[in-house]
Amino acid sequence: MAIELNSQRMENIPITKIGVIGLPNSGKTQVYNYLTGTYNVVANSLLTTIEYKKTLCEIDGHACEITDTPGLHELYVQSHEEASTREYILSENPDIIIMCMDSTRLKQSLNLAIDLLELGKPLIIALNALDETNRRGIWLDSKKLLHFLRVPVIETIALNGQGIDELKEALFKTRGIKFEFQYDQTIEDGITQIMDRLPANIQNQRKIATLVLMNDSYILDYLIRVNEISQTDIEEINTCVKKTQQNFPGNINRVINTRRSQWVDDIANEVIQKQNIRPYEVEKTIARLCRKPSTGIPILLLIVYIMYLAVVNLANVLASWMDETLWVPISNVINSFISPGFFNDFLIGDYGILSLGLANAFITVLPILSVFFIIYNTLEDIGYIPNLCILTKRLFEKVGLSGASVMPLVLGFGCKTMATLTTKSLTSKRERYIAIYLIAFAIPCAAQMGLNISILGRMGFQAFAITFFVLSIAEISAGMILNLLLKREEKGDFIQELPPIRLPVPKAVLVKTYYRLIWFLEEALPVFIYAAVAMFILDKTGLLMASKIFLSPVIEGWLGLPLEMVDALILCMARHEAAAGLIIKLIQQDMLNWVQCIVAVTITTMFIPCFANIVAMAKELGVFKTIIMTICINASAFFLAGCLNWALILIF
Amino acid sequence: MIKATEKEEYLEKLWNMKENNADDINQLTSAMNSDSNSSVIQEMLVENLIIINNDKVAFTDTGEEKARKIIRAHRLAERLIFDALGGDYESGACEFEHIVNSELVDSICILLGHPRECPHGRPIPEGDCCKSAVKTAECAVMPLTEMEPQQSSRVAYVNGYQKESRLNKIDDLQIRSGVMIRMEQKKPAIVIQCEGADIALDDNVASDIYVWKECTRYRSKFEDSDIKAPDCVPPKRFGFMRRARFGRKACNQGCNNG
Ligand SMILES: Nc1nc2c(ncn2[C@@H]2O[C@H](COP(=O)(O)OP(=O)(O)OP(=O)(O)O)[C@@H](O)[C@H]2O)c(=O)[nH]1
Ligand SMILES: [Mg+2]
Ligand SMILES: [Zn+2]
Ligand SMILES: [Zn+2]
Repeated sequence: MAIELNSQRMENIPITKIGVIGLPNSGKTQVYNYLTGTYNVVANSLLTTIEYKKTLCEIDGHACEITDTPGLHELYVQSHEEASTREYILSENPDIIIMCMDSTRLKQSLNLAIDLLELGKPLIIALNALDETNRRGIWLDSKKLLHFLRVPVIETIALNGQGIDELKEALFKTRGIKFEFQYDQTIEDGITQIMDRLPANIQNQRKIATLVLMNDSYILDYLIRVNEISQTDIEEINTCVKKTQQNFPGNINRVINTRRSQWVDDIANEVIQKQNIRPYEVEKTIARLCRKPSTGIPILLLIVYIMYLAVVNLANVLASWMDETLWVPISNVINSFISPGFFNDFLIGDYGILSLGLANAFITVLPILSVFFIIYNTLEDIGYIPNLCILTKRLFEKVGLSGASVMPLVLGFGCKTMATLTTKSLTSKRERYIAIYLIAFAIPCAAQMGLNISILGRMGFQAFAITFFVLSIAEISAGMILNLLLKREEKGDFIQELPPIRLPVPKAVLVKTYYRLIWFLEEALPVFIYAAVAMFILDKTGLLMASKIFLSPVIEGWLGLPLEMVDALILCMARHEAAAGLIIKLIQQDMLNWVQCIVAVTITTMFIPCFANIVAMAKELGVFKTIIMTICINASAFFLAGCLNWALILIF
Repeated sequence: MIKATEKEEYLEKLWNMKENNADDINQLTSAMNSDSNSSVIQEMLVENLIIINNDKVAFTDTGEEKARKIIRAHRLAERLIFDALGGDYESGACEFEHIVNSELVDSICILLGHPRECPHGRPIPEGDCCKSAVKTAECAVMPLTEMEPQQSSRVAYVNGYQKESRLNKIDDLQIRSGVMIRMEQKKPAIVIQCEGADIALDDNVASDIYVWKECTRYRSKFEDSDIKAPDCVPPKRFGFMRRARFGRKACNQGCNNG
């Protein structure tokens, strides 16, 4: 898991562990960002945070370690990513829990609150997104909520940081309370029996025993792994569970859930006070239009076209302006001081660290990414992207994916690495396999998408349309082939929450864009420079030429590309953005015609998934399968790009 | 002579045990916890309802048929009381199964759209009505898939026997009997709104969720903001209520005879 400590661990000072927990998309990360002063991606979408993130900071004179967690519905979990959040709660034992309660989904939140209350830990509730309930014409009585829950309830609007100070103030005053549901005698006996068999030193015994009794599929695994319970104990526990279930004249889960539901209903009825009824039809209509194929497809095409226009007319112009006003003078100065030769080449030659490294990153790639990220982040904050999964569901179903695995694919348009990690939430192994393959294959991530548009935009809209059409065909056929090859399994259920459509806040979009660009520079700039140095060495030692000659039948013959594209393919292995920068250079030097341009973009999009993505794949699938998959992807990339080349030559 | 109801309780208990794959006679007697244990068992043996072999009890065909009817009545009654009347099913249903006749049971079954399980999640044995899947105007519920776009209604119950994880997921999202849901759209996937959240579902999940055809207001005083008043008319008298009076008469006779 990603652990980031922004200062050294202070050995002697006691550190208070604070966990921010709540439903998916309830504003946890937003609260966390305000509490810590750092930034973690906030998006109006589910599965934004998929690994926890810890930060040390100081609140109210206390040293705190605050953890941002993935969303959770209740402690009885259904998927791996929920299980990992639960594991954080059960095994890391946060000293204080901040529950981020989405006030638009009060009942769902209360259902989670029961579990957190039952843990008996100091709990504080941030009643978040109150602006949204206000707009919907609902008024929540937080005093009553406080009365029922007996823990501090702070009204917050995390979007603009309202209520965060109160939250900080109340944080260290909260105490744990005793909160327990009493169930039927048979169930209580069962719980007691299981508790007797659990090791005495573990905490939250009653909660764990209840989960075991409810047949939670991950809890026994957790007990074996973390608490090292012996196999005989597990068997004894299992017998207990079976016996209780037999003695009980009904389904234990249902009875427990009914009890909880009644409690939730009772509180919600008291707390929710209707003001005037003001429907929020506008957002809902927009959402519906985006999801219905008859209107959704035109909207999608329109959005893509707007992206295209923005990148071509804004980003490309910006990039060439920066090239003229920044790079040209610099290279002139260098040329006048250093005469052509080794050092001149090293700095600003074809493979110079300034030209291929710095200028490539700052002057060619950065402007394009900034424009594209602004658009993409706006879409993300509107909540448009998850709704795409409804629109495209039918299509992906043909490819053998159930609705559940469409979500990771759609998220792949943002970041392929994150999307690969979200496949954790899929239960069917076969679907995970297909989804991971498809994410790695022909889906361009946001950065790639922006750069592809910028490259193809130089050749006209037709080139752009053809390329994305070909990429979608490639993606769909890959899915169909995998669907035929892999053994059939029972389809997982598709029950998917969708985020509400929201008006994006410009400041939030800009902040997110800023951080994404900073992260890009932090990660990519060193890679750009190292790659430039490596290319320089390859070039000077003659290895580059040798490999070009060796690869020329494939590159020139099969793909119909100029030999310079070998440089781009090599750079591709380091960082796709670097390759894109080089392709743009080639276009500016008139070395690519428009067929070659299409082929070049197609192959760089499909060729080798980025390094981070490969690591994520290895994490989900294991090393061996990842290697096989990468080989398959590259082979099909070369094959398809070649076919495309010949087809285009025949047609045009 | 032992009362008919007492034997029926035994049959019911034995059915429950069978569902859990238990067949120990001692478990049956200890569960019933009655003074007249041995005599009831004796009489059931005489009436050829059960057979006992090495402490293992089993139903005879007649016994099984009888138990099946009782269980069906019991669980349907639970469904009715829990969903339609919003009441506590623990107290009411126990007596119900001993007084209703199978015609009445079938009409409850039709009214509730042939539910497949009781509120505890136990399967309801099928009756003749379920086999022919009678769908009449008398049916007060319909699967979610039959709702019109933009229509709001209240969830009656969720079928999901043996689909524990799906059921829990649905429950997490607060889709359960008594809550209002609104159909947002049906194609390409069903999207409903429930308790403030938009939820997309597959057809096969949605067809397990049953809603009232006519929404009723009494279960919670809180309503979703977007329900328009005309959607919410007070329930008309169901056809079954008229029949119930007739059923009750028949039942009384049955009880007197027993
Ligand atoms: N209107 C409104 N929106 C909010 C508020 N708090 C957060 N949001 C928005 O809700 C969305 C989700 O916020 P996140 O902080 O990413 O939520 P999260 O709980 O971390 O989500 P996951 O990590 O996906 O589980 C973002 O678009 C936020 O801008 C609020 O108080 N009011
Ligand atoms: Mg988050
Ligand atoms: Zn029952
Ligand atoms: Zn029936």
